[in-house]
Amino acid sequence: MNSQPTIKKETKNKIRVEFDRTPLKDRLKAKFGNMSFYTDIVWYLFRFIILLGVSYIVLYPFFTKIAASFMSPDDFIDVTVMLIPKYPSLDQYKYIFLENEYVKAFFNTLSLSLISAILQTFVSCLVGYGLAKFKFKGNALVMGAVILTMVVPHGTVYLSMFMEFRYFDLFKLFGLLDFAGYEGIIKALTGNTIQLTGTFWPMVILSITGLAFKNGLYVFMMRQFFRGVPDELEESAYIDGSGTFRTFLQIIIPLSVPMMITIFLFAFSWQWTDDFYTEMFMSSNRSLVLMPDIVAVPKSLETSYAGTELYNSAINNTCGLMIIMPLVIMYLFCQRYLVQGIERSGIVG
Amino acid sequence: MNNTKVASSAPKRRRAASLDKRKAKAGWVFVAPFVIGFILIYLPIIVDSIKFSFCEIQTIINPMGGSGGYSLTFVGLENYKAALFEDADYVKTLISGIQQLILEVPSIIIFSLFIAVLLNDKIAGRAAFRAILFVPVILSTGLIESIDASNNLMEFMDASEGGINDGTGQSTAAQLSAAIDLEALFANMKIGTELVQYVASAVDSISDIVSRSGVQILIFLAGLQSISPAIYESCRMDGATTWETFWKITFPMISPMILVNAVYTIIDAFTSESNQVMQLIDSVYGQPGGNVLSAAMSWMYFLVVILILAAVSGIMSAFVFYQRRD
Repeated sequence: MNSQPTIKKETKNKIRVEFDRTPLKDRLKAKFGNMSFYTDIVWYLFRFIILLGVSYIVLYPFFTKIAASFMSPDDFIDVTVMLIPKYPSLDQYKYIFLENEYVKAFFNTLSLSLISAILQTFVSCLVGYGLAKFKFKGNALVMGAVILTMVVPHGTVYLSMFMEFRYFDLFKLFGLLDFAGYEGIIKALTGNTIQLTGTFWPMVILSITGLAFKNGLYVFMMRQFFRGVPDELEESAYIDGSGTFRTFLQIIIPLSVPMMITIFLFAFSWQWTDDFYTEMFMSSNRSLVLMPDIVAVPKSLETSYAGTELYNSAINNTCGLMIIMPLVIMYLFCQRYLVQGIERSGIVG
Repeated sequence: MNNTKVASSAPKRRRAASLDKRKAKAGWVFVAPFVIGFILIYLPIIVDSIKFSFCEIQTIINPMGGSGGYSLTFVGLENYKAALFEDADYVKTLISGIQQLILEVPSIIIFSLFIAVLLNDKIAGRAAFRAILFVPVILSTGLIESIDASNNLMEFMDASEGGINDGTGQSTAAQLSAAIDLEALFANMKIGTELVQYVASAVDSISDIVSRSGVQILIFLAGLQSISPAIYESCRMDGATTWETFWKITFPMISPMILVNAVYTIIDAFTSESNQVMQLIDSVYGQPGGNVLSAAMSWMYFLVVILILAAVSGIMSAFVFYQRRD
């Protein structure tokens, strides 16, 4: 076969060359006539079907919940009704929205989640940077403390955490070491401890100090991310006369925006659906309506018939759907950052 | 002249602390929020909780309000004794909970590694699959999890799908595997009934496994993407099959991630609200006088899990392969 290319046309910056092409038959044979092409196809289909199945398993509970949220009481006793309601109605949404103080809960939870998510993002960024880039005595000890906060289960500290914020005081630790009843500094000054439960303050304090829900994980992710940032960046900034904090604000923060968005999304959505801390700290304040408080059967929908139990369960699920609706919308817009951020965090090495 | 020189050199020396020292100081400033919070808030909470577990608690109802709402009497190891010897369920639940943990962790890790490998290659709709697999991490926590815990909607849907409401309340996956009858199918393979039963039970709880392996899949994906493509290329040049490449290249390179995921999965599994030991501790907390007992129970549980974590990471880190990247 003559494989010498012949030059057909040549201009100043373009060249057209013609090869003797291999006949179509041979090319097709080379492409389709071997085993590896077919094993590749089979493997591709296999992967696709498995992923499709797994996605179905993930999404199935949401399908059932969405379907049930449009059903009316009659649908739950009709055995012919499957996923598609026979007598569709929007009653569930309507009454949850009107009677369960959804709007109030929405805005209260929004402000709580925004405050704590912003604080948590910034604090875990600071602490992660400090742990990743500075060698000081006790670095490993602080990292150990971060991991400890991750590992101790909520249940273990439930009682004492509640007590801590119900009778809030600083420097209590010295008092705890003996049983004699040393009193904290605030009590020594004012004669009373402060009750912080029923307000946002416990969450704010926990967020500022990086002790809130799963904050250890955020600090860990941030630390791993910063370890992947080359030291040369900061070194050149130092040489140009920039101080540590200026470097942090002007070089490091802009660099880590995608990662911070990831942490923010985590913090926001976990705070949004959190019921552990919210119930522990805020349930004493009846006027502060938050998302966990709206999970109830609205008065207008109270029924008593054969399908009551199912219907009530469907209503609870509709409450759940309405709670996560804002999150879903946010997730649709931001999932790109989320996945990228975790991949870039390079938890590797 | 001389005097001024001495005077000016003294502050200079103080200012010129070594770079390392200054950096160490800056490091402490960065971690200060956490350290202060840890010492002032978290440590008292931990110490308090340990103290509670050795005490008996009485709430004093003070009509004037204010502090002094409870009193503690030191009772030594009474709470621990009560948990171990008097409570009927604690030891039993603890043992079965640990058994469950040991069974669940490998299936979650194997599953998430499998899915991560599938997702790592190019496939149509890869971004969509990744987004979907990550949905449970964001949406199935806290409130939604506790709504799901008291949920009988799924059973209704499944039953009506089959057309017959048999009231057994099995999930689709369980019905499916029952229809195939996995155990009978593989019973004649000479791999032992225990293994078959284990796999069958893993298949039964597939939706649970899927919804709990979101973070692990992402950690594995990150690990897979950090493996240099050049290694795979040279493998293919040398004629290695995909199967060989997986076991000789991917698996050793990903082994640090397996350790990370094992630790993460154990922590996640034993702190989740659906964990039976945690449920028992929660229910004990609600009983009269049970809050100190539950503190004692959870500290013992915590110790056991720390031991498991130490054992797992100790054993696994002996097999983990670290690539030197200097």
